[in-house]
Order: sequence, then structure tokens, then C-alpha cells
Amino acid sequence: MDGYDLVDVEVTHEDADHLLRSIDSSEDREEHPQTLQAIRLQAGQPDSELRSLKQLDENSVKMLEHQVDAAYRALFEMDGKALLADEVGLGKTIEVGMILKEMHFRETDDSVLILTPAQLAKQWQAELLEKFGLDFVCNYDDEFEGFDAHDYIIASIDTAKSDRHRTTVLGRDWDVLVLDEAHYVKNEETDRYDLIDSLSYNYAFFLTATPIQNELTDLYNVVSLLRPGLFGTRDVFHHYFVDTNQDTLVNRDELQDRLNSVMIRNRRADTDIDFTDRTIDTRTFDPSPDERELYQAVSEYVKGAYSEDQGQKLVLMLLQKEVVSSPAALEVTIEKRLDEQSELTHADELQSILDLIDQVETVTKQERLLDIVEEARDHVEMGRVIVFTQFRATQRELLDRLAAEGYTVHAFHGGHSSEEKEQIVERFEDEGGVLVSTDAMSEGRNLQFCNIMVNYDLPWNPMRVEQRIGRIHRIGQKRDVYIFNMALKDTVEEYVLERLYHKIDLFQQTVGELSSILTRLEESGTSFEDEIFERLVSADSEVDLENDFDAMAVDLQEQRDLAEKLEEFNSGVFEGFDLGESDD
Amino acid sequence: MVSSKGSTWGRAMTDAAIAVTQSAVEQFTEQYLASIGCSIEKQGGRWAVTVPEGTETELATGQYILRCGDEQSTENEDEEPLHPESSFFQTILEDSSGRCPVGNISIDAGSTDIAIPNWLRTSDVEVSEVDFSPYYDRTALVFLFTLDIETVSDYQTELLRSVAVDVRSEVVLPGLADTLLEKTSLERGTTESDAPRIETSRAEKLIDHVRPTVVEEVRPTINDIHQEASRAADAEVEEYRQMQQQRMEELEETVASLSSRIDELNREINQESGREEHVEVLKKRKGLKSELDEVEAEIEDLRNRREQGFPDKQREIRDRHSIEVVVTPRSMTEVDYESGEAEFELADGSWRESLTVGYGSGVGVTEDVYCENCNQRLSEQNPLRSLSGGLRCSECRGADN
Repeated sequence: MDGYDLVDVEVTHEDADHLLRSIDSSEDREEHPQTLQAIRLQAGQPDSELRSLKQLDENSVKMLEHQVDAAYRALFEMDGKALLADEVGLGKTIEVGMILKEMHFRETDDSVLILTPAQLAKQWQAELLEKFGLDFVCNYDDEFEGFDAHDYIIASIDTAKSDRHRTTVLGRDWDVLVLDEAHYVKNEETDRYDLIDSLSYNYAFFLTATPIQNELTDLYNVVSLLRPGLFGTRDVFHHYFVDTNQDTLVNRDELQDRLNSVMIRNRRADTDIDFTDRTIDTRTFDPSPDERELYQAVSEYVKGAYSEDQGQKLVLMLLQKEVVSSPAALEVTIEKRLDEQSELTHADELQSILDLIDQVETVTKQERLLDIVEEARDHVEMGRVIVFTQFRATQRELLDRLAAEGYTVHAFHGGHSSEEKEQIVERFEDEGGVLVSTDAMSEGRNLQFCNIMVNYDLPWNPMRVEQRIGRIHRIGQKRDVYIFNMALKDTVEEYVLERLYHKIDLFQQTVGELSSILTRLEESGTSFEDEIFERLVSADSEVDLENDFDAMAVDLQEQRDLAEKLEEFNSGVFEGFDLGESDD
Repeated sequence: MVSSKGSTWGRAMTDAAIAVTQSAVEQFTEQYLASIGCSIEKQGGRWAVTVPEGTETELATGQYILRCGDEQSTENEDEEPLHPESSFFQTILEDSSGRCPVGNISIDAGSTDIAIPNWLRTSDVEVSEVDFSPYYDRTALVFLFTLDIETVSDYQTELLRSVAVDVRSEVVLPGLADTLLEKTSLERGTTESDAPRIETSRAEKLIDHVRPTVVEEVRPTINDIHQEASRAADAEVEEYRQMQQQRMEELEETVASLSSRIDELNREINQESGREEHVEVLKKRKGLKSELDEVEAEIEDLRNRREQGFPDKQREIRDRHSIEVVVTPRSMTEVDYESGEAEFELADGSWRESLTVGYGSGVGVTEDVYCENCNQRLSEQNPLRSLSGGLRCSECRGADN
């Protein structure tokens, strides 16, 4: 690819009149050395330290050497245009967080647009806020008023490219563009590619663990968006780097040199990340006859109401989740519906559900939870256990019950101020006992001093499960981790647990692996929660339902296998380049 | 005295830019503010600065609190951040860089250590004594040049290079530029500077004399950028060519469709019996034929341009990607230095040797020295190895083993 001589180089010499005039002037010559220093500083590279790092709270984010190094190189050696291509699970989001924090510190981030797959947008938002104190609005927030109304935006790429928003997205000059899962813009003939190609921005950070999806052209396309011209034309690129006869790579050194100027790829093997073991204990229990009756009544109500009015999907989904969490959680929602008279046609049915709730005297899961915390009290330092539930009502009941049994308890939910949240975590560390938390305990809280976690109920969104686990099983955890899952037999919870989550080894996955599976699912137009709900309400029989969940598990498994294969493929391709090395 | 081979001067210039660290920022700011008569009262990372009325500076007069580096900000409106990108620092740099671009600085033997040449510094042979005898007072000019390299596809690259040239011999003296930068560095504190004596016309001639050297020194960087710009331009030309190819295919489809519609109308004309309908169809056919002519003309035009390789577009793309290098002299320092001979007393085991070579204060050794066995030039890569039987270089090691 040498020998290009297509453009002219023109050298212009500015005159030296100001110097010549200065020779005979009467200026104060003592200041001459200072002038020399000023000229040299003006030409100097900006201070190449990540100065904002000192401001980060070590309790919120633990930064690893390879992450700091990647952020540094992306900013100072790649002039703010980089493809961050670490292997899965090495914390690319953290790297971007550091980059954005530093740019914020240096006031070079007047407008920032982060484009992600839809399922990951909220997670990005939470992570940037909690770990880096960076406040972004997300296109799913109520306060989102369009791409021209905010300066720090996280949005799904498909929302950004939609007819409704495209003009405003393209209508402004962004300081910084972040593109997550960048391999989804690999195809130059898609609307997504076209959007990124047409966007105007000064700095860009693209993230992917698998820059190559099918062929080397993918890499060409992604890199060309970041650094147009780095590889010349597509044909020349192919001709020069691919031996088409044998379908192998040639001129690897030069490819590596070029890629090194724009791409950073850390490999797990090169880092010192070492996770302790994780033991999963899934416990399913027979519900009491009263509980079973209640579950069936709610499921039937949900099915019937949904077939009549699909607009109520969210609230019906909620009821179906609450019934397996606790009768108390269910009661709150049902009473609310009756009070608001939002459900007049089924008022009798709802009333009878309330009666069934009253009938439940013993809550099976609650009793069984006592077994777990009791065991922990005997065997674990200060008996520390974190119990997660999705519902405040369930949380209140658990707290009351555990306190009544003589346990030290701590409550953590979204209603606390951030200062209070910090104090709660501190008290939990100091006093031990049981912390009962809602999913408001998302990213950012550092709870590695505890190694036992209970999923009292189970979110239908696997990302949430991963986040829960990530609270304790993270870098810095020195002990083995125990995760207890609790479910009542023959309920949706058991299906989700046994047929879906266990099939994809959700509880055993490396952090970050899941997002690539979910992103693949999203590509095929599937939302996990909706999928579960639809199967639940549309199954005609128990057997149907089981078959449906099995089919979903097969889909998931396929996506997972594909994601893994791609990861392996990329490792293979890049291994030969030794791209993980620094550029010294 | 200077070797005509000139090979000692492989590197004619120094990268003169300083890394803009927080400590450099603070050091410079403090010196600058003191030099223009401001008072500074330091309270940890916060400096209370008073700029008196009548001070010649771009800064507004009055009081400021400067907040250094990563100090947490308060709500105080009078607080100004001080870090490399802060507007306060940029303002004082701008002000200071234009204040006094020309001066005179002396580098005499008394103010600098005698520089040991690289071929001796990396050698096992010991220097037991060194002495410099200055014979002449000499003058050189040291310039700082900025080189801005601009392209459309790449960010702007700005380089700063220093180059020193002897006023009388016009020989480039890289060692002297280094010494001057070192002597006037932030860490060294104050250095005295006087008015230059050089005549304007002579200075102008010397500036022009060193300009080509400056450009040649950064040629590798220019070449890299040139290659990348060429690739980008090529990619754009190719993209344009493909677009036109696509356009041509679309137009050819249009031609086919228009032709078949005209054929259809031809058949209709033959079948239409009513006069009005007949005229109507004829009109339609005329309209379509003129449309066909236009499309065919466009195809023809595209074809011609393709055959010629789209010269206008190519020119436009290449012009847009062209690279402009702007060379600007920023400062000129007249440096008085001394020239003479340095005598190095060398020791290698029981061997002793005294070596006398041309030397300049701040410049270093000004002549090449050769192996007395194989006549190879001594250099950092080929240092002096021993004194056995005269000066022996590392490369002729085999000869006496």
C-alpha cells in the first residue's frame, strides 16, 4: 500500500517580520527566556495524565490497570478516536466512563451522545451515574425531550435512526460519540451504518468484543467510520491484506501497525483478573395448598384479562410477578386496582383474590429463607446475607419477620437519598446481619465484603440478575460466593429459573457475556420479558407451556453458542497480531 | 575543524515542545505573574492573585483565586481554574509568547559543564580529566519554528523545532540549540538576556538559510500524513466512481423502461382510430422521447467522464485532501558562545592517551574522531573500546583478538 502520491504537499513559509522588527525594538529583553518557555508550552502535548481519576470514589469503581491504560491510550495516543475491543468481561464500559470523566474534567464534552442496543441503555445510564457521577438522560426517561434538548444523551441506536429523531440527531455537531456493540454497524448498506457515517462528531469511542463478525471487511467498515482513509479503499484493503487464494491474512505486521493506531484489545489472559468460585443453590419448594390456589387464581385472571385487553400488559405482568414474590406484594397492587376502579369488569374476581390472600397463613418462601440466614449466621463472618426482592411490600414483610426472629436487619431501596444509601451499606458492613434490598441496589455499590446472596424472587430480565450477582461477585471479592435462588414449584418462577436461566448458565457466566447474548436476541427483535409473558398467557396447557419455554431456551442457547463462537473466532484472528501489546 | 563529512550532525534539530503537566503550568504561571508585578498568596491548592492597576497584561486587573489542578471547586465566582486547558493559562501563554521573541543569551565555558561526546560517554574508557581552552568568541542564532501540518482527513499536527546556526560559518549546531533550551527551561529559573547585536539583514538571511533544514527534518512525519491523506482521497475517489456506476445502471434501467413505454405507444398509435386520442398518444410519445433523450445524454456524459477517470471530481477530492505545511519562525535567540579546543585525558587500564578536539561551549565536540586502527568514525553506535595501540573502536574488536 506504499507509493501513494495522490495529493499535493504545499509548504508555505510565513515571514519573519515580527522577529526582525523586534531586533531593534526597545522591549524588555529579560522576558525573552519566558517567551521561549511560553512558545514551548503552547506547542506541548496536553498533560497526559488522567487527572480526573483522583476524583473517583474507590468504593464506587475499582479501576484496573488495563482499563486505565486503555483510557489513556484512547485519549492521548489515538487523539480521541478509538475502537475499544477488549475481550468480553474486561470492563469496556468502565474504560469509556473514565474517558468521559476525563473529558468532562477537561471541559471538552459539551455534547455527548452514547448509542447502545435498547436493552443496555438504562444500564449504561446507571453505571455512568453511580460509578463516575456523570448524569445522562436516556431516551426511555420521561424527561427526554428529543436529541436537540439535552447535551448528555444515552439512546438506543434504533431510536436515533428512526424517522422521528434522525434529523435532530444529525442536525447538531456532537463533541463525543460513543457507540456500544459497534459490530452492529458493520454493514455499510444498513440504516445504522448510514446514521453513524452521517453523524458529525469530534471524538468517537466504539466498543465491541468482536470487531470481526464474518469477514475482515467488517473490521474495515467499523474502522473506516472512526478513521476514514486509514485502510484506503475497500478493494485495496482486500487486495493488500487478504490472500484470496488461500483465504488467509497477509501483511499482518502492517495491519497490526495500522490497527494499533486506532484499536485497543486487551485479553483476559493478559490481565490479572481472578474471580473466586461461585456456587449456585437453587431451592424449589412445594407451595401450600392456599398458595397454590392463589397462584392459579391470579394466573387465570391475568390470562383472561390479557385476552380481553392487551393494553394492560404491564400491570398484568406485574401481578404475575408479585404472586410468586409474596401475597403482601400482590395485595397492594390488587387493592390499588380496586380503589382506582381501573378494573370494573373483573372486580369480583379481584375481590376473591384478596380473600385468597387473606387465607394464606404461612408464606412458604419466608419460612425457607429463615433456613438460609440461619445457616449463614452459623457459618459466615457476621452472618452477612443480602436478600434481593423486586417489591417493597415483600421487602417490608421480610424485614419484619427477620427482625422478629432476632436478626439484625438493614433495608435498602430506591427511596433513600444517596447519602443514606451509603450509610446503610456501611452499617451492614459494620454490624452484619441481613440486608434486604430491592433492585435499586444496582451498579456501583461495592458489597464484596459479603459473599452470600439470596434471590428471594427472580427478575424476568436476566441483566438484572447479572447486576445482582455483580454486587458481590466482583473484582476484590476474596471468598467463594454463594447464590441461593428461591422458587415455588410449578410457577412461572420455576420455569424461568429451570428452563431458561439454567439453560444459558446465567448464574455461572462471566460478567459481560450476557450482554452479547441479549444484544443478539434484540437483533432478532425479541424482548426477554415480553417473550416470557406472552408464552405464559398464550399456553393452552401445562405441557404447552413447558414446550414453549423449552423452545425459548433453545433460541437462547443458540444465541449463546453464536456469541461464543464469534468471541473464539476473534480471539483466533487477533491472537496472531499480538494486538494486546502496548505500542512501545 | 568540523568534518566535511558532516555525519556528526545526523540530527539537526530538537523537538522543543514541553509536556504541559500541571506542575509546569503552576511553575510558569507563578513566574509569569511575578514578572509582571502581581502578588500571589498561596493557600494550598488555591492562590490568591492580585493584578495591580496599570499592569501590562491581557489579564483583567483585580483579585482572583486560582484553583490549581484537581482542587474541588466552590461556588465562589472569582475562582478561576488553573490547569493545562484552562482559559486563564491559555491567556497568559498567549500574552507571554508574543512579549519578547528576540534576545541575546551567553553560553560561556564557565556556565556549562564540558560535554563528553556520546562515543566516549558510552565507552568503558575512562575520562580522567578534561579541559577546555576557548580561543574565539562566536555567535549563533537559535530559532524556534512551528510547523503546522493540515489535512482534511486528519487532525492538525503542530510541531515545534529548534535549530541553531553559526552566524559566520552558517553551520547548523544542534548541541547548541539543546543547551539553550536546557538553560532557559522552567526548572532552571531566571536566565539573563540582553538586546541582540545582529543586523536585521543578516538575521533575515540566516532565517531563510535554515528554513529548508527545518522542513527536511520533519519530512518523515509529513510523509506519514501524506500517505494517509492519499489513501483517504483514493477511497473517496473510489466511492464516487462506484456511485456513478450505480447511477449509470439506474439510468440504463430508466432508458429500458422509457423505450418499452415508447414501443407500447407506437403500437397504440397504429391502433388508435379517433383523432383526439391519436394526438394525445403522439403528445405522450413526444414527451417520453424527450425524456429518453435527456437520460441518454446524461448516460453519454457519465460514460465520457468515466472514460477520462472523472478528472474534475478527482481534482476536487485531491485538492481537498491536499496537505499544507505552514512554517512559522517564532523566536530568535542570539547566543554568544566560545570556540576552542577540549583536551580529554583518557585512561584504559595502564594505557593513557590525551585527545585534543575542536570544541564549542554549549555546542560540544565539533569534529569527528576516527579509529586509529580501522579508520571508522567513532559514534554512539560505535564507541571507543580501548586505547591499546591508539584509539580503537568497538567494531574492529575482532582485529586484535
